[in-house]
Amino acid sequence: MKLSVDERWDIIDKISKETVKFGEYRHTLKDALAEITVKPLTGIPIAIAVLYGFWSFFGAFAGFFTDGFLVKLFDGHWLPWLQDVFPGGLGNWFYSIMVDAGHMESGVLVAADNCFESFGVLTSGLFVAIGVVLPAIIAFYLFLIILEDSGYLPRLAVLIDTVFHKIGLHGFAVVPMILSLGCNVPAVTATRNLETKKQRFMMMTLLAIFIPCGAQLGIMLDVIPEYVGFVMLYLFLGFFVFGFILNELIPGKSPEMILDVPPYHMPTGRNVGRKLWARLRGFFTVAIPFVLLGVVFVNVLYLVGVIDWLANVFEPVLVGWFGVPKETTAPLVAAFMRKDLAVGQLMGIQEQLGMVAFNTYQLVTSVVLVSLYFPCIATVAMIIKEGMQDRGKGVITFLLGSLAVLMAVVFIWGGLLHLIWIILGVA
Amino acid sequence: MNNESKYNIGRIYFAIFGLIVLAFGAAELLLGVTGRSFEWGLLEMSGEFLLWQGIILFSAGAFYLSSFKNFSDIHQQAKVVMASAMIWIVAGMQIFGMILESIPGGEDGGWFNTAEGFLETYAGPYIPELFLLPFSLVVIYYIRLNRQK
Amino acid sequence: MRILLMGHPNVGKSVVFNRITGANVTESNYPGTTVDYEKGYVRIGHEEMEVIDVPGTFSLEPKDKAEEVAVKMLERNKDSVVVCIIDSTKIERGLYLALEIIERGSRVVVALNMWDIAEDKNINIDVEKLRQILGVPVVPTIAVSGEGIKELVSRISGATSVKIESVMKNVGGS
Ligand SMILES: Nc1nc2c(ncn2[C@@H]2O[C@H](COP(=O)(O)OP(=O)(O)OP(=O)(O)O)[C@@H](O)[C@H]2O)c(=O)[nH]1
Ligand SMILES: [Mg+2]
Repeated sequence: MKLSVDERWDIIDKISKETVKFGEYRHTLKDALAEITVKPLTGIPIAIAVLYGFWSFFGAFAGFFTDGFLVKLFDGHWLPWLQDVFPGGLGNWFYSIMVDAGHMESGVLVAADNCFESFGVLTSGLFVAIGVVLPAIIAFYLFLIILEDSGYLPRLAVLIDTVFHKIGLHGFAVVPMILSLGCNVPAVTATRNLETKKQRFMMMTLLAIFIPCGAQLGIMLDVIPEYVGFVMLYLFLGFFVFGFILNELIPGKSPEMILDVPPYHMPTGRNVGRKLWARLRGFFTVAIPFVLLGVVFVNVLYLVGVIDWLANVFEPVLVGWFGVPKETTAPLVAAFMRKDLAVGQLMGIQEQLGMVAFNTYQLVTSVVLVSLYFPCIATVAMIIKEGMQDRGKGVITFLLGSLAVLMAVVFIWGGLLHLIWIILGVA
Repeated sequence: MNNESKYNIGRIYFAIFGLIVLAFGAAELLLGVTGRSFEWGLLEMSGEFLLWQGIILFSAGAFYLSSFKNFSDIHQQAKVVMASAMIWIVAGMQIFGMILESIPGGEDGGWFNTAEGFLETYAGPYIPELFLLPFSLVVIYYIRLNRQK
Repeated sequence: MRILLMGHPNVGKSVVFNRITGANVTESNYPGTTVDYEKGYVRIGHEEMEVIDVPGTFSLEPKDKAEEVAVKMLERNKDSVVVCIIDSTKIERGLYLALEIIERGSRVVVALNMWDIAEDKNINIDVEKLRQILGVPVVPTIAVSGEGIKELVSRISGATSVKIESVMKNVGGS
């Protein structure tokens, strides 16, 4: 027999009357703390303090390892040693893929003196992956895990949601957004908790386009520390602007998310350690091979002339519309594989071209472009997989829709930044 | 001493402390907005995060002050705890940053810092949060007191 | 035989799953951590049983993709034992899902998880009485410390399906 909803509640009422006694219960400090962290008036300053704490921790921790030791190790010892002992030498094709392609300076091919510039698998590849990104993501994941395990994450989500509603933004899924800062891939999966196809499409697309991942954040912090805040703000702003537009354009509903707020727990060292280890294992087995492959991929394209050809084809768009030098083509290609690699490469290109040909504002624009213009390959694969599950045969429309949004965003949001620089008189 | 008078002392202590915190917060905020800095003896207010530190400190001050009424109520106590925790976050991260900065040798130095360089990192001047930190620890006493109740 | 771990989001299903299978599924303190099912194995007596960590669901009328997975799991495995995990501090909501599962005719064991928090909150649950009314094994557990998990596992083979009518009679009758 099947009961109706009311009948069921009726039985439950009776059961609970007979078996459960709610004793006297006074609010504890924990409950009171739980309350003030979600109320906007007190919750927002607390959230600012938490994020401040995270940001300083992130900066100090990553800076300690990267600037304190690893840059020295890679630039001062590893690179010169490889340049010394690796067979082939400057100009050799294998040497240029693995160690250092060198670059032209007044007609002479000169060797790189740091691991951003050299762009070899064993130099830039390892340096970006281990020297810069690894310390950053350890700090980042640690924070995310504590956020997940303490119970603050859903509270932060509720708080942000409340603020969104005040400014007329509805239907954003905040939890996947925050998770996305760690890595876009699990965030795409987390959209399964959303109710409608429209919401899942919107969130997957927007997350993949706008939210930079932990690895990318880490390297941005190393390369353009003064501008990370600005880049993040610009990307988040784009997220909301395009989210608002999509919400209006796409037919269908985006019902409110009602998030259950769990009590605070002290995160256990065991679980934190286990999750951190799982994340790091993922980084070593998936991310690092991708970074190294990415370097090979771009270097081979360089050697056979595809990059130069692409650069010339896209020069009008890159220079004319976005205001960045055509040399950014290579990083944009690398960004297919890994965003962190692409940002590292941009740094190397700036060092080769010099501040005049490639100034800081152009660097910021290209970093924004790298974030926007295409999700990394792992995210794309996950979107296809989720799209297939969600839509079946409709996956083609789904993907074309995402691609259309992507193109629009890149041109509008990327071009707008160029316009901003022009208006400010710095471009 | 009975609990009531303990809470009364706390109320007055955190009201005064709250005012001081609020004042430092306001100063940091103003300097942050105008992009200036301030140094006096061992005290400094400068750096790229000044504005944010100002917002946090100012809010902490406001939390302390708003707990004046019904100070012994658990919800008011929660605000005092949070305000103190906010100071701990800023001060704690400052200390953490100093420690990590003091260890490596820097761009031109060796792998590790020299002894003088190491000590120099800790020589100050310091941000106001570091001076406020010890005074905010009083809250621990009240957390204990709440637990006994 | 299969064992399904079902319950609302964030009640501790994944913690229980990791405990009994020795697996390493993600546990987090927010609802919606597990969005796809995970498999593991446990040996009970001489039998090797497959255990499935099902995504959290509020009811058997799915609201989103994760809940859909949960409901499909139940439909596909009609003859499996369902360990229905309930957050003891929100027992009424949890019972709703438990009743729904009982109505479908599955064999059920109820775990009253987060027993520690319920005690802190001064919530008293008469486990024996609940067992009588529901007619299925009911075990208080604290998944994070492992308390009650052994008993829970030992009750799995004794799980029976009950008629909802008998539950109705039991509550009406006393
Ligand atoms: N105090 C206490 N905490 C518990 C207990 N069981 C689980 N938890 C905590 O509750 C949180 C949720 O546990 P999970 O196992 O991830 O929950 P889940 O049911 O798998 O949730 P979803 O995957 O979202 O459906 C974690 O932070 C656990 O540490 C318990 O018995 N007592
Ligand atoms: Mg789970």
